[in-house]
Amino acid sequence: MSLALSQQAYVSRLGRGALGFAALAAAILAGTCIGETPIPVLVVLQTLANKILGAAYVLDPIDMGIIWNYRLPRAIVAACCGSGLAISGMVLQSLLRNALADPYLLGISAGASTGAVAVTVAGLGAGAVSMSLGAFGGAVAAFLLVAILARAAGGGVTLHGTGQIVLAGIAGSQLFNALTSFIITKSANAEQARGIMFWLLGNLSGARWPDVWLAVPVALLGLAACVWFARALDAFAFGAEAAASLGVPVRSVQVVLIGLTALVTAVMVSIVGSIGFVGLVIPHAARFIVGVRHGRLGPATALIGAAFLIAADVLSRTIIPGQVLPIGVITALVGAPAFALILVRGRRAR
Amino acid sequence: MTIKHMAFTAASLAFLTVAAAAAPTTYPLNVQNCGETITFQQTPATTVTVGQAATEVLYSLGLGDKVTGTSVWFNEVLPEFKDINDRVERLADNDPSFESVVAKKPGLVAVQYVWHVGPEGIVATREQFHDIGVPTYVLPADCVAKDNTVGVDGTRSEMFSTATIYQGIEELAAIFDVQDKGEELVAALKAREAASIEQAKALDLKDASAVFWFSSAEMDIDPYVAGRKGAPAYMMDKLGVRNVVESDEEWPVVGWETIAKANPTMIVIARMDRRRFPADDHEKKLEFLKTDPVASQMEAVKNNRIVVMDAHAMDATIRTISGIEVLSQALRDFGLAK
Repeated sequence: MSLALSQQAYVSRLGRGALGFAALAAAILAGTCIGETPIPVLVVLQTLANKILGAAYVLDPIDMGIIWNYRLPRAIVAACCGSGLAISGMVLQSLLRNALADPYLLGISAGASTGAVAVTVAGLGAGAVSMSLGAFGGAVAAFLLVAILARAAGGGVTLHGTGQIVLAGIAGSQLFNALTSFIITKSANAEQARGIMFWLLGNLSGARWPDVWLAVPVALLGLAACVWFARALDAFAFGAEAAASLGVPVRSVQVVLIGLTALVTAVMVSIVGSIGFVGLVIPHAARFIVGVRHGRLGPATALIGAAFLIAADVLSRTIIPGQVLPIGVITALVGAPAFALILVRGRRAR
Repeated sequence: MTIKHMAFTAASLAFLTVAAAAAPTTYPLNVQNCGETITFQQTPATTVTVGQAATEVLYSLGLGDKVTGTSVWFNEVLPEFKDINDRVERLADNDPSFESVVAKKPGLVAVQYVWHVGPEGIVATREQFHDIGVPTYVLPADCVAKDNTVGVDGTRSEMFSTATIYQGIEELAAIFDVQDKGEELVAALKAREAASIEQAKALDLKDASAVFWFSSAEMDIDPYVAGRKGAPAYMMDKLGVRNVVESDEEWPVVGWETIAKANPTMIVIARMDRRRFPADDHEKKLEFLKTDPVASQMEAVKNNRIVVMDAHAMDATIRTISGIEVLSQALRDFGLAK
């Protein structure tokens, strides 16, 4: 903490912002350079020059298309999802004062699965509704159910009842997971079940420019909210009662922030499936690096989440040549040991 | 027993069956099938099928009146069997329950896929059927030189061959004592296969390559394509076409980036009745190929070398032979001769 404060004296706020932006740009560029097939970095740069600066290098249209239409949007979407999930996790952890809170706590992942399965297996919407839209609908439905349940149980809107939200989330998740299993067992064959598992474990291969135009504003919205509410979130660290005594409108902040994280998570899940571990681990990693003040923690969490998911996506494409692993496998495989390391080192630092 | 050994035993048995084909079957009949010996004291009076391919083989052998229940449907039944199929009860579109199969008291359960009745069978294990005196027969196309415990759809140690389809027809013909019909059917299919291969050989193809696109979970997502050892791989191999996919899995997921870079000469897309994923519709596949900024740049798309093929022909079934015909015809129509 003291180290971070002394650094703050040297590096201005603007300078840190520029540094963060440069790191993000570098991560996206790396994600664009590394892919399933080898394409020289020069070709990547020439493509970007052609598309952004209007240069006229003569390139293979397939190479150019792969870089501009597959890899770049994929890296940007990965960055947005990483930061969106990490921010959501951070907000929930702070708001609920629960180190184990993650974006899927509110039943969103389970609801998304049910929605996706209802569309693809049970044939809801008869092909007119895409799996993504079904997932989004399911996620929102599950969250609403959890919110209503938490409210009925007296959680969320009272000063004491954050535990109720967690319990309601668990109940909602169990219900929707059971619904998913029910639909699959009732009407899917093994082949369909596989397609859904593949998607649910997280997959960025379908990311294109339209997904970018959806993911970027949503990720920015999440980041803006947590910067805007940074002081309120700081206050929540001492509990809802303390926050109230500090003049934070506890009830409205809780409603707005929980609603917003649900929205951000639901959108991200509908684009890439439920990628685990990012929302749980990244906020802790960020806290370890920049401390617990949300003014810095928010942007740091977003940045680390973005870079982490781009790196995980690159690994998922390259770790087994010619085969793409579900990114959720990578985030857990890399994330779990990294998290363990942070835990151990964090203890020593204290 | 190794898989190779099993394949050899099965193959030699098939040979014996053919050799004895002229004479009627003598019971009790022992059949070595997918690692088990099944014994028939007499011709099974009735049969229930698990898997469309098994159903269609029995129909092709003129045994439709013996089939009392069907299940696991992928597509419409072949048009020539529509009338007979309308008279047979469909136990389930997908996986039937053990009891619904057994309730029919079948003299035989004829199965397409090991995963329905294998050691981890979804319907039941073969032992469960055998314990109550119901014999099972699994089409050899799904077990000869194929390890069904590896990978989701199993993994073949050797490339699929239509020989296993012919073996399945001959063995079922022997079990039901209709060898003449079986011999006739196999001869007809073999002749069609040979004619298609001859036609393709005559073209003397230069480096022709292809990818078989089955479907995709989402429209833009990495697609399911044919691996290098399944039925599509056999078609390509026999017709002198190179498969751009290098995976031993039956239907691996391969990225569009990899496919576009491999830039195959032609693309074969599956046509099916299933509508679970948008990409099940072959029109949607065509639309993707023509509009995707990268896929539309592939040689196959630019030159409109896209073949539409019955999805069930891409699996190891009697329809595989018509798949070979479709591909061979396409090679000629596309003018890919040297």
